[in-house]
Amino acid sequence: MLENLLLGFQTALTVENILWCFVGVLLGTVIGLLPGLGSTTGVAILLPITFAFEPVTALIMLAGIYYGAQYGGTITSVLISTPGEAASVVTTIDGYQMAKQGRAGPALAISAIGSFIAAIISLVLLIAVAPPLATIALEFQPVEMFAVMILGLVIVVTFQGGALIRGALMAVAGLLVATVGIAPGTGEERFTFGNVNLLSGIPFVEVMIGVFALGEVFYQIRLGAAEPIKARFKDMVIKRKDITDSMPAILRGSGIGFAFGVLPGAGSTLASFMSYGIERRVSRNKASFGKGAIQGVASPESANNAAANANFVPTLALGIPGGATTAVLLGAFTIFGLQPGPLLFESQPELVWGLLVSFFIGNVLLLVLNLPLAPVFAQMLRIPYGYLYPIILLTSLIGAYAVSNNMFSVWLVLVFGVLGYLMKEVDLPMAPFVLGLVLGPLFEKALVQTSAIGQGNLGVVFESPIAVGVLAFAAAMVVVPKLIRPLRKAFAGNRERVGEDAGLF
Amino acid sequence: MKSRITTAAIGAVAIAALAGCSSSAGAPAGSGGAEGAFEPSDVRMIVPFSAGGGSDASGRAIASGLESATGATITVENREGGSGAVGYSHLHAQAGNPDYLLASETTLLSLPLTTDVAYDYTSFTPIMKLGDDYTLVVVPADSPFQSCTDVVDAARGEGVVVAVSGAISLDEIVFTLIEQDQDVTFDRVPFESGSEVIAGLLGGTVEVGSLNPGEVLGQLESGDLRALCSLSEERYEYEQIAEVPTAIEEGIDVSFAQWRGFIAPGGISDEARDYWIAAAEEYVASEAYTQYIEENLMQPNAVYGDEFVEYLAENSADLEAALAE
Repeated sequence: MLENLLLGFQTALTVENILWCFVGVLLGTVIGLLPGLGSTTGVAILLPITFAFEPVTALIMLAGIYYGAQYGGTITSVLISTPGEAASVVTTIDGYQMAKQGRAGPALAISAIGSFIAAIISLVLLIAVAPPLATIALEFQPVEMFAVMILGLVIVVTFQGGALIRGALMAVAGLLVATVGIAPGTGEERFTFGNVNLLSGIPFVEVMIGVFALGEVFYQIRLGAAEPIKARFKDMVIKRKDITDSMPAILRGSGIGFAFGVLPGAGSTLASFMSYGIERRVSRNKASFGKGAIQGVASPESANNAAANANFVPTLALGIPGGATTAVLLGAFTIFGLQPGPLLFESQPELVWGLLVSFFIGNVLLLVLNLPLAPVFAQMLRIPYGYLYPIILLTSLIGAYAVSNNMFSVWLVLVFGVLGYLMKEVDLPMAPFVLGLVLGPLFEKALVQTSAIGQGNLGVVFESPIAVGVLAFAAAMVVVPKLIRPLRKAFAGNRERVGEDAGLF
Repeated sequence: MKSRITTAAIGAVAIAALAGCSSSAGAPAGSGGAEGAFEPSDVRMIVPFSAGGGSDASGRAIASGLESATGATITVENREGGSGAVGYSHLHAQAGNPDYLLASETTLLSLPLTTDVAYDYTSFTPIMKLGDDYTLVVVPADSPFQSCTDVVDAARGEGVVVAVSGAISLDEIVFTLIEQDQDVTFDRVPFESGSEVIAGLLGGTVEVGSLNPGEVLGQLESGDLRALCSLSEERYEYEQIAEVPTAIEEGIDVSFAQWRGFIAPGGISDEARDYWIAAAEEYVASEAYTQYIEENLMQPNAVYGDEFVEYLAENSADLEAALAE
């Protein structure tokens, strides 16, 4: 174990590897920042320029792009309510509210700190227990994933607290939009109206750009010439109290993120909103979720970083990619003449341990890079809207075109931009809609597979202890708050008398 | 700008030299003849799938091979969507434009057979088949099955659960062909990619899968999965899988390859077509080609032009028979 780490440090701590690690995380931050360009596309596009490198150097840089993008995706989510990465959609909810209150700096800083802590925790877990964890992850087969998807839907529906019906409505709308395209399993065309562009469904990235970025711009334009956010520099810098308040959220987010990241195919988007959904339930500051709670930023941002690292558990230990980006990275292994698979740890110890150690270095670099930059980026909001909005519109449309080199994507973004505006007008929550769209294909796939396994009988779910456990947890998410409320009222009286936590409840 | 002019100049010199070599006897099979020679500019290689997959890898390999062979700049464009339909439709709309190419594989034939698209393989100009990728029938290490015959026998008896990755995927086709040949039925669980199938096998959801050797070699070498038979005409020569018998040896008369290659839009000039064929031949003779084929454990059965068209006609008929079920 110690030997391996030593080997890893020897490999990762060469000038060349540190340099390319830095280039990777920097590029990753920029890629994460740009709407439309996600880490998967980023890694795939930049893959060819690494052909001339040593395999380990190339993989260190490519992996740097991946986790660097998790940091970068946050910046636009917070500042202009436009998620740069799918895994940062949830961050817009509280992050943008914080920015409106002049607290963009702390939001960005806590996201960098949370990401860093999550990365370190998940790396320690990854290094210590990757192989046994990978075996546990294999227990999550289609039947178990079906239960996980139901849990996901429950969390999405109850996402924004009070407006349960609105949340449910929007999540269902998202699921319905997700049915467009070729059906998984059977291959039938649904709602495509003969348009080949619709065969693969309504792509999530375009919807995200439209609903969030354009929707917000249209809405602000209608509100008229609002004053730019006036924030004192003092408010731009994170306070010690912000960090201590967020610590439980960061730790929980890291755990939840890691757990979901280990499951092949679940990915960091699922992890980030599961974490937010759960945090909203258990946080001591739950009342201010959705209104600019710093925990609402810390939790999903920690989770998506933990998940990004945890994705390497099945990737390195089993040769099965944990998500889309790690799938591209596995492809890169082959290009460098390395056979991804369970033997990688034994046959390429230098590469595997060098890569893992480089994650530590990369995350330290990211923290050093992002923490001082947080107040600087936050200054962007001082730009008068008259200049800021055209820039957002332009980058959104270019981003949309860049996703698929196709004008159809641009039209989609505009259509969903108008829809996003209308949703804002009538105060419908957008996150459940987008997450319903993300969850739709995953849910349907698990449903079709489970049905095939049970030969039409979905009851097979109850034969799996793991699935039953997950379903019980989902049920508890709905039922327990209803039971707890009367109890809490009884307790609240006591607490106030003792004076504990008075400000928080 | 300057470098492009230089490249063009070198290209022109090369063509002049080639034309000089093949002086008299008939039209040269090489770079498109002397007069009115086709000269590519700003070439696009469309990959109809997302970056990072098998099609993307082959598209990028072909593009870089053709770049070395022609000196032209070839930009790879991923136009994904609709299981490939978006990319093919885009190429279809470029009819007559010889500066567009597309990294193609079996979906060129299977999509028009199953989906309502405006094209079929005759709408394009096939240039080269790069090689063939067969599949191996694999099971988890602790599976009771020792041969493909065992699998078929079990399907006749209590039933076997097999993994397929999509309604018109290669594994769906080979399992259907085995069913037709042996008059049995498999229970199917649909997945969406080879790596999902591997997870399904390792986790015990499915009993049998059919995967490209390149996809599953890591798990075979570690001993987590075992290969029962290969669905190829002859045994593989790659030493890692040379021991695996063919299904045909076991009396199951099924072999089916996924081919990879590239095509140009329909209606391009003969000069342009011959130019690309010559460039493809040069690529196949290079070290880079051998490396790509060996890394992916494929079979280097390259064919060009008319021969490729004939192959497509046969392959399409086979597919139609398999998908008719």
